[in-house]
Amino acid sequence: MKLAGLKSVPDAHDESIWAATWVPATDARPALLLTGSLDETVRLWSPDELVPAGTNTGHCLGVVSVAAHPSGVIAASASLDSFVRVFDVDTNATLSTLEAPPSEVWNMQFDPKGTVLAVAGGGSASVKLWDTATWQLIATLAVPRPEGPKPSDKSGSGKFVLSVAWSPDGRRLACGSMDGTISVFDVSRAKFLHNLEGHFMPVRSLVFSPIDARVLFSASDDGHVHMYDSEGKSLIGAMSGHASWVLSVDASPDGAAIATGSSDRTVRLWDLNMRAAVQTMSNHSDQVWGVAFRPPGGTGVRAGRLASVSDDKSISLYDYS
Amino acid sequence: MACVYIPVQNSEEEVRVSLDQLPRDASDILDILKAEQAPLDVWLIIAREYFKQGKIEQFRQILLEGSSHEIDEYYAEVRYERIAILNALGAYYSYLGKIETKQREKDEHFILATQYYNKASRIDMHDPSTWVGKGQLLLAKGELEQASAAFKIVLDGDRDNVPALLGQACVQFNRGFYSDSLELYKRALQVFPNCPGPVRLGIGLCRYKLGQFEKARQAFQRVLQLDPENVEALVALGIIDFQTNEAYGIQKGMEKMQRAFEIYPYCAMALNYLANHFFFTGQHFLVEQLTETALTVCDHGLMKSHAYYNLARCYHTKGDYEKAGLYYMASVKEINKPRDFVLPYYGLGQVQLKLGDFRSSLSNFEKVLDVYPENCESLKAVGHIYVQLGQTEKALETLRKATKIDPRDAQAFLELGELLIPSDTGAALDAFKTAHGLLKKGGDEVSIELLNNIGVLHFERGEFELAEQIFKEALGDGVWLYVMDGRIRNSSMDSRDSTDQYKDMKLFHQLEEDGFSLELPWDKVTTLFNHARLLEQLHDTEKANILYRLILFKYPDYLDAYLRLAAIAKSRNNIQLSIELIGNALKVNEKCPNALSMLGSLELKSDDWVKAKDTFRAAGDATDGKDSYATLSLGNWNYFAAVRSEKRGPKLEATHLEKAKELYTKVLVQHPGNLYAANGAGVVLAEKGRFDVSKDIFTQVHEAASGSVFVQMPDIWVNLAHVYFAQGHFGLAVKMYQNCLKRFCYSTDAQVLLYLARTHYEAEQWQDCKRTLLRAIHLAPSNYTLRFDAGVAMQKFSASTLQKTKRSADEVRSTVAELKNAVRVFSQLSAASSYHIHGFDEKKIETHVGYCKHLLDAAKVHCEAAEREEQQNRQRLEVARQVSLAEEARRKAEEQRKFQLERRKQEDELKKVMQQEEHFLRIKEQWKTSLPMPSSKRKDRSQAEDDDGGNSEKKRRKGGKRRKKDKNVKGRYEMEEADNEMMDEHDEMEEDVNMINDQQEDGGENAQDLLVAAGLEDSDAEDETAPSSAVNRRRRAWSESDEDEQLEMVPRESSPPAGDRENSAELPESDGEIRENDFRDDGSDKPNRDAGDDDEVDD
Repeated sequence: MKLAGLKSVPDAHDESIWAATWVPATDARPALLLTGSLDETVRLWSPDELVPAGTNTGHCLGVVSVAAHPSGVIAASASLDSFVRVFDVDTNATLSTLEAPPSEVWNMQFDPKGTVLAVAGGGSASVKLWDTATWQLIATLAVPRPEGPKPSDKSGSGKFVLSVAWSPDGRRLACGSMDGTISVFDVSRAKFLHNLEGHFMPVRSLVFSPIDARVLFSASDDGHVHMYDSEGKSLIGAMSGHASWVLSVDASPDGAAIATGSSDRTVRLWDLNMRAAVQTMSNHSDQVWGVAFRPPGGTGVRAGRLASVSDDKSISLYDYS
Repeated sequence: MACVYIPVQNSEEEVRVSLDQLPRDASDILDILKAEQAPLDVWLIIAREYFKQGKIEQFRQILLEGSSHEIDEYYAEVRYERIAILNALGAYYSYLGKIETKQREKDEHFILATQYYNKASRIDMHDPSTWVGKGQLLLAKGELEQASAAFKIVLDGDRDNVPALLGQACVQFNRGFYSDSLELYKRALQVFPNCPGPVRLGIGLCRYKLGQFEKARQAFQRVLQLDPENVEALVALGIIDFQTNEAYGIQKGMEKMQRAFEIYPYCAMALNYLANHFFFTGQHFLVEQLTETALTVCDHGLMKSHAYYNLARCYHTKGDYEKAGLYYMASVKEINKPRDFVLPYYGLGQVQLKLGDFRSSLSNFEKVLDVYPENCESLKAVGHIYVQLGQTEKALETLRKATKIDPRDAQAFLELGELLIPSDTGAALDAFKTAHGLLKKGGDEVSIELLNNIGVLHFERGEFELAEQIFKEALGDGVWLYVMDGRIRNSSMDSRDSTDQYKDMKLFHQLEEDGFSLELPWDKVTTLFNHARLLEQLHDTEKANILYRLILFKYPDYLDAYLRLAAIAKSRNNIQLSIELIGNALKVNEKCPNALSMLGSLELKSDDWVKAKDTFRAAGDATDGKDSYATLSLGNWNYFAAVRSEKRGPKLEATHLEKAKELYTKVLVQHPGNLYAANGAGVVLAEKGRFDVSKDIFTQVHEAASGSVFVQMPDIWVNLAHVYFAQGHFGLAVKMYQNCLKRFCYSTDAQVLLYLARTHYEAEQWQDCKRTLLRAIHLAPSNYTLRFDAGVAMQKFSASTLQKTKRSADEVRSTVAELKNAVRVFSQLSAASSYHIHGFDEKKIETHVGYCKHLLDAAKVHCEAAEREEQQNRQRLEVARQVSLAEEARRKAEEQRKFQLERRKQEDELKKVMQQEEHFLRIKEQWKTSLPMPSSKRKDRSQAEDDDGGNSEKKRRKGGKRRKKDKNVKGRYEMEEADNEMMDEHDEMEEDVNMINDQQEDGGENAQDLLVAAGLEDSDAEDETAPSSAVNRRRRAWSESDEDEQLEMVPRESSPPAGDRENSAELPESDGEIRENDFRDDGSDKPNRDAGDDDEVDD
């Protein structure tokens, strides 16, 4: 289990890169890397060579999140002005523009079947679910407010939802908040199940294990990655090692490892058996806002790939084996 | 059979007296001698015989009788014998005086002896034997010069006078002229080869003193051949044997000493040597007996000194320092010069050191060093004393010398290292490493304390890997290894209980059940703690956590472990848990100042002001106010109270500031090197507007705060930046903020980004400002203030673009886009306010929205105007081009004409010239006026100016800005504190170090600043209608100037009168939190360091 640097693109954007995801391969083309930046653009990159494959404009303020439909045909990008733009990956045609004021937009993720787009709604203390066929808002999963008023809390009395993740079977949705709690929902009933506790600082990124639908990984500003049993509500383990906030976490397709990106400018690879960092990449010179494993599939592409994006405006690509 | 014959008077007969049958009563003999008028030599012979037989009384009786007046008269002619009798008496009393120990009697004996010799001299001035006797007497009295003179008189008369030779030799010996003495002895021996043993003894001693040990030995052996019972020779031979320093030699020496002792049990020298021997064999009882005997029989200073010394050593080894000290003292008293016998000084020094009398001890060791300047042990002892006396410099110097003299003395390096820790960790580390190497090479066991110290020093220097290696070496095998390689880790548990993990001991009970040995020897606890601390530093928090808990499991009173766990919890923002853990620590020791200080900072963090103040006070009291951290915290508390600007009067504010300053100063007086106190003082000064002074302070602190991994003061960067900002050096301020972000917080501090944005704002770099704010929003998504600020920045950008006298249509278009963004941001904020309290009045946001929309409308006009203007510009350019073409044509025509005129002028006659010219000029005038004028009129732009409102007010705005800056800076200094002095104290838990950012003030204020700058907020009327709205007290300062920009928005009459700003001082709710930023965590941040044991030098 290791990472090997393949390629790095300096100045891939004009400004800090804040989001990255892989657009799955279609019959016509291999998987593409999708990145979003403070420079208000969303860019597409061909795999391995990281050749620019398109630049989408149209966002105002920085692009904070990008998400790709499992089919690889459509993708969504969201910016600080709380608009979500849904577009055709290959033509860059805008399919829809989503907004649900006063809800902001933070993390987004398509469900594994591709029928729903979940959007973390920030201060609205909810996750918005959009139907991908009609682009209508179909549900608002509200995070229950904590008992007892907290007047001293400057950031507002409710939860501030930052991150979302779908379980691989599509039955569960988890969202992470500024105060560190993680809420788990039953999607089919649109029902809040329970909170997972242990973090007390913002949880900016969540990911379920691709091989075990119960296992959830969370990245928090407290520098830790937690491993939860999302059904049993239990904390399986805590992994420390980053010197600063953990901004992003992604699980490898084989389920044996996770990768994290941190404010400490490193990307770490964690062996889940040892529950320890087995490798630390320090090629970035500023905060690493996004890490993403390339999903398997596509023509003749078997090798594992990990991409990372950073405030230093660069994209790095690693071979994962 | 020897006998004397006393001639019977007036007859031929003689009385035969057998010498070995002398009558017990000397009177019998005396009667015979007197009756028969025996010659005086017979008297002498008989007296001498009595003396030989030890019958001293009889001897004296005969001689006294023989020197009486009657005899003098009767034997007036017999001079020689009379002199001999007197000399014998003189010698006898000299001897008595010599062996007498009591000074008074001694003197009496000497006086008697002197009298007899003087009497003898009166009989014959030149009798050599009298002189010899006198010489001996003087020698016995210690008057070497006179003795020498006396012997010289004899020797001048007869250079082979053996007694005089011996006497002179003795004088020379005592004077230390051993070779002269040897010559004299040799001569005596040549003159009188059959002289008794003691002469050879003299030779032996001279040889010994001259270092010719073999010859000395021969001489002593010869003495023994002549007199097998000669004690001196035996002792001397014994000493020579001892000096071979071999077991065999020492054994032989001992045998000789013993024989000497058997022959004559009162020889002090032998006694001392025997005592010395038994000291080393550990038979202290014998030592005491021997030395006591020696002391009673001996009056020789050095001998006594030796004896006392032996006794003192006995008690010293037995640990009876009082007695040992007394005897060492007695020993020292017997010594004239330390050079003669230096050992008791050393012993005395040691005992005094042990008893804590450093100064006396020091003077004694210094005496030793006078004699042996390179004595390592003494140097170390002196160094140690200097350390105890706090004279670090001298201690360093001494120890350095010691290590230089003996570079293989691990002990000296250890001491040196410990001494260097506070001043020069690098050198300390080197010293420790050397000691480590030496100990290892010597096969000695390396103490865990030493390894611990080396590890900690590596740690402090940031050499974490080396530190880890050393700690591992120090810890050796144990259960911790399983923790470190991850084989032992926390088991899975319900996430709701996950925070209990910090207190959970189940893990260890489970491990014990599973048969793991959780052995943790007490001497490894500190090192284990330090290792945990190292893991923490390496962000391996989970393992550190387990190790701390392991320590607590075995040693529940180990307070520091609680503090560290609390610090970990705090850094993960789990305040509740952290407070609980501190509570546990306080259960162990409710007065622990560190725990109290940390509790105080936690309470501040959870906004429990009053409690925090009490806690800090308690922490201060727990250390009698000596704890700088508590004092600093109180100072900070006061500072916050001053700038918190709740409903407090200006008086209160000033009082708090003054109090804060006082507290900072107090710390500075105690510890002039306390960076945090200096920083605090700088902040207070800056608050008072004295930027130059505060800048100096900050700069100095900034320079000082680089080096150790434990001293990290991002605040000082921020504060310096604030000062630059306040003084209008925006470029420098920006650089400072950016460096701070990069260096200290991995660019995660939204607050510093906000400062940065504000600086860009003031520098009118709108785009930079906006981008910085967007980054800040990304970092702190729930901070709506930032969104508001971003909106204001965009609005401001647009407004300023529209105000520009020249702008392109593109610019205007981008302005429109930006305005739309601003409107969206404000609208969102407005909508969000339904479920979030973020501190802005909805009305105000709406005002902003309204203003932006208004601007948008205006911008449309502008847009058209700009486009029109561009169009017109193009037309104007065309007109201008044509005009210039026409002008060119005209000029050419004129030149043509001029040329023709010139020609004509030449042709015309001179008289016509004047007329012609006049006429011509007139014609030219006419031409000029008839030509078309180029248009220089520019389009009137009054309309635009009206729209902007503020353009004409530029000047006034500038003036206002100045004030604004000064004001803005207030309350924006970051506080931090750490007791860097504590670093000096090893073995002590490190204070926690807090940096407390004065964030709330700023967050809100900044919003206000921007608000005001945007020209949107300015009225008492508003205050009255909405008293709880976020009107900052500083607003007044700028409102007057700022209203110029917003004429259309605010009614003029609403500007508040100067001086009542406090009326409107209302804290926005969003500001209700003090953020406290611990960049350096609390509790025992610094690893503990076990001091190496207090070593005293042993002999």
